[in-house]
Amino acid sequence: MNTIEVKNLKRIYRTTTGVIRRKHKDVVAVEDISFDIKEGELFGLLGPNGAGKTTSVKVLATLLIPDAGEVRVKGLDIVKDANEVRKQIGFIFGGERGLYWRLSGIDNLRYFASLYHVDPDLSKKRIPELLELVGLEGRGDERVQGYSRGMKQRLHVARTLLHDPDILFLDEPTIGLDPVGAREFREVIRNLQSEKKTILLTTHYMFEADSLCDRVAVIDKGLIVALDTPSALKKHVRDLSVVEIETFGIAPQKVDEIRALPFVDALSTREQDQRQVLLVQTERGAEAVPDLMSALDGMRVGRVTVREPTLEDAYVRLVGGKV
Amino acid sequence: MKFKNIVTYWRTVLTVAEITLRHQWNDSFILFAILIQPMIIAVLALFMLRGTGEDYAMFVVVGSGLTGLWSSLLFISGNSINGEHWQGTLEALVAAPIPFEVIVFGKNLANVVQSLLSMTTSYLLAALIFGYSLNITSPLLFIGSVLLSVLAFISFGLIIAPLFIMYRGIQQWQNAMEFPVYILAGFLFPIALLPSWTTPISYILPPYWAARALHETSTGAGDFDKIIFAWGMMLIFSVVDLFVSSKLFKLMLHKARVDATLETV
Repeated sequence: MNTIEVKNLKRIYRTTTGVIRRKHKDVVAVEDISFDIKEGELFGLLGPNGAGKTTSVKVLATLLIPDAGEVRVKGLDIVKDANEVRKQIGFIFGGERGLYWRLSGIDNLRYFASLYHVDPDLSKKRIPELLELVGLEGRGDERVQGYSRGMKQRLHVARTLLHDPDILFLDEPTIGLDPVGAREFREVIRNLQSEKKTILLTTHYMFEADSLCDRVAVIDKGLIVALDTPSALKKHVRDLSVVEIETFGIAPQKVDEIRALPFVDALSTREQDQRQVLLVQTERGAEAVPDLMSALDGMRVGRVTVREPTLEDAYVRLVGGKV
Repeated sequence: MKFKNIVTYWRTVLTVAEITLRHQWNDSFILFAILIQPMIIAVLALFMLRGTGEDYAMFVVVGSGLTGLWSSLLFISGNSINGEHWQGTLEALVAAPIPFEVIVFGKNLANVVQSLLSMTTSYLLAALIFGYSLNITSPLLFIGSVLLSVLAFISFGLIIAPLFIMYRGIQQWQNAMEFPVYILAGFLFPIALLPSWTTPISYILPPYWAARALHETSTGAGDFDKIIFAWGMMLIFSVVDLFVSSKLFKLMLHKARVDATLETV
């Protein structure tokens, strides 16, 4: 049974500039997307910045009204039955905001419990349980302003679970967390998955989607460009190899020149300290290295490695190799 | 509205009010608006009215309390939705299954209760520092007037908050709206001293009826008919304000979901 149904969703943002001669401009955030999420499934939504991930989640969380299309949560229309939908869902948007910093963790949870019709006796029992679940036991009496980013994010999870929703929307929940915090957070998501919650997760981190999600939709420029299991998505690039080349101070024009080489299927770059790592997808594997080196002639080059493609590489290829 | 809903909403209102009070006591501006500013006004007025009699002192105590109520309503309740915006908590509140106006009602209750502290402070100031013996003409009716004033102020605040969000132009006049209401509502002196053309304006302001009931029961003759009339006006204004505000909140939230303004300020 499908818990979430999205059919031909479209959402436009209208901006206005000028005071006297006002100019209106439409920005299409979501062009036309459709997908279903089954009960108990952990569904990933991947895409570059501005692809329409957060907009889609906000429509599902009843915070935005779509311009076209139909969105249903447990069969309920998110516009007409917004209030009923809200009882069934919980959401987390990445970042530290969304909590009352001058209040303790427990007071934050008491406050939100009252907004979700949680019986006071039940919330007294549930709050310590949730604090333990998210690893904040013993810290609930402290003011949130003294919490680390990871602790705030975990408090968000506790807040989201107060009314025990069946459906969770997690929008880039690990953004800005240190590696240890992000790993702990992924463990929390796995626990939620084992409780049969239906989860929609958006993330930039491919390994996160790879390790957590049952299915993944890759979204780019407001359209879904691929939707499958992580292993099936990786098959898109199974005939390719990835050549990783460390460079120092490479110009964007040079990157475009290499991208245009006939044997290059897709190319993305990753900044690492002072270095720019080129990730070149090619069918030629190690044989492409000499040609790539000659294309980089005169540039300072560091380590060069050839490896098997990952979900991230599949994603890069799906969104046009320009990440 | 079902009885179960009313119980749930009331429980939420009380929790929101309690947590709002805890949250606000760490904010020095709020302490200034509800405690220090009314004290300054009370001291100025008490000095000016020294020697004019005990009744004037009590009039000033009640009046300065009302100034605290109005200021808190205008600045704290009026900005309450904006405040949630700035903290990034607005989306979480809107996405809760409870009507948003119930949450703002709880926040306004906290603000109004806090403001009553300023009336108590002014009372103590007049009694202990200036040595007035302050008597209330009809204590029971005075308490009744306080309770109805609380309802009238909260309901009025529920109209101001969504208007400030939907029409930013109105909010620019927020500062300019503070003192005219002190004068037009007869907080610190009777409106009979004002030109007669201002009287209709006073009549459409719920704070005027609150001031009239509170002054009549504290320093006035305690005329029962006048008091009941003021109570009736406060009740009518409260019902109308609650009805209008529920429509305004629906409109504001729909507009925010269409314009995508819940997250951005």
